[in-house]
Amino acid sequence: MTERTVAIELKIPDNEAYTALTALQRMDLDVDRVERSEIWHLDDAGDPATLAARVEANAAIFNPNKHRLRVLDGHAPRVGEIWIDEAGEHDEVREHLGGATIAGVSRASRSVGWRLYGPAGAPASGDTLARAVEGLLCNPAIEKARYESE
Amino acid sequence: MKRRIAVLVFPGTNSEDETLRLLRDCGGEAELVHWSRAQRLTDYDAYVLPGGFAYEDRIRAGAVSAHDRMMDDVIAGAISGKLVFGICNGAQILLEAGLVPGTGPVRRPTAAFTDNGPVPHFVCRHVYMKLAIDPSRCAITAALPNDAAIPAYAAHGEGRLAASPERLQEIVAGDHLAFVYAHRDGRIDAAAVPNGSALGCAGLVNREGNVLAIMPHPERDGWNFNHLDRQEGNDVLAPSGGAALFRSFVDAVNGR
Repeated sequence: MTERTVAIELKIPDNEAYTALTALQRMDLDVDRVERSEIWHLDDAGDPATLAARVEANAAIFNPNKHRLRVLDGHAPRVGEIWIDEAGEHDEVREHLGGATIAGVSRASRSVGWRLYGPAGAPASGDTLARAVEGLLCNPAIEKARYESE
Repeated sequence: MKRRIAVLVFPGTNSEDETLRLLRDCGGEAELVHWSRAQRLTDYDAYVLPGGFAYEDRIRAGAVSAHDRMMDDVIAGAISGKLVFGICNGAQILLEAGLVPGTGPVRRPTAAFTDNGPVPHFVCRHVYMKLAIDPSRCAITAALPNDAAIPAYAAHGEGRLAASPERLQEIVAGDHLAFVYAHRDGRIDAAAVPNGSALGCAGLVNREGNVLAIMPHPERDGWNFNHLDRQEGNDVLAPSGGAALFRSFVDAVNGR
């Protein structure tokens, strides 16, 4: 069993990311662009070469007309990125995978990924991420945030 | 002179018309204020945040609205003692704005109305909200009798109160639990709770008692025509049922 992480993002304009951008800018954060993705953490026994195709076969989370999928190298948020996890116990297969499974995957959990960029396209600073988490992106009553502070 | 009530309309709000009508039928001088036209809301004496899906519930229900320009004046008004009443999505916005339970900083939520439990699903069900505080604890409920049971409709996918054990204890100890779900006869048990809400919570009040957030919709059970048994009379357009809470709110706004 191998831990694998994939990101599913929209390839069409992302209204939710734009709304987040405007809200963050209202908070006076130095953010010029926001990208949102679903991050899937998978325990996978399948062939790595077919991972993308196996995930893309789940129509509940992937629509080829509007999504693209990336297999991530690491298992932690990238620089300038925040992962928001739901706190507490919940059934990911039922809630987010439409009751279906992914071939070869024995466990799946989901985060929402937010990549924040400042001026000139640079990843947002740790301080900006902290303020974005505290002020908008994470409600600590029901969520947990992961990001690199520096 | 009647005082003016602003009924806030965010993009995605969908319960503003019945909310406005019931406020007026209960004697309130209320008007809709749309986010796209709002300048300042400081001239209003009270604010009502109706139900819906403001900003399409993006990020989380209520999260983006809590940062809308209109909320700057609502938050300032609440801090200055103006009455603020949120229903369903309006209640979610007030939690995200940190106005209820109000035990943390502004716009730093300490609790959430989130996915219904035990299985996430949308609920549309007739309920009763039983007043769980002394009526005078909250200005908006002050005209209600002790233990009032307000009929309403729960209509939400995210109405379960969730918070850490410490924050829930804070809610109880601070007397923030304004309404709990109950049966028509006032009995309280798990079967009366439609969404797995912690503490059986249907509504929260802030420390000062001027901000009330409720998840069910009394305005959807607010006239005789809403009640199939016509128990409160045959004038179908007479306010009744859930209107009791709206009347109490309007009385408080008008200083009666």
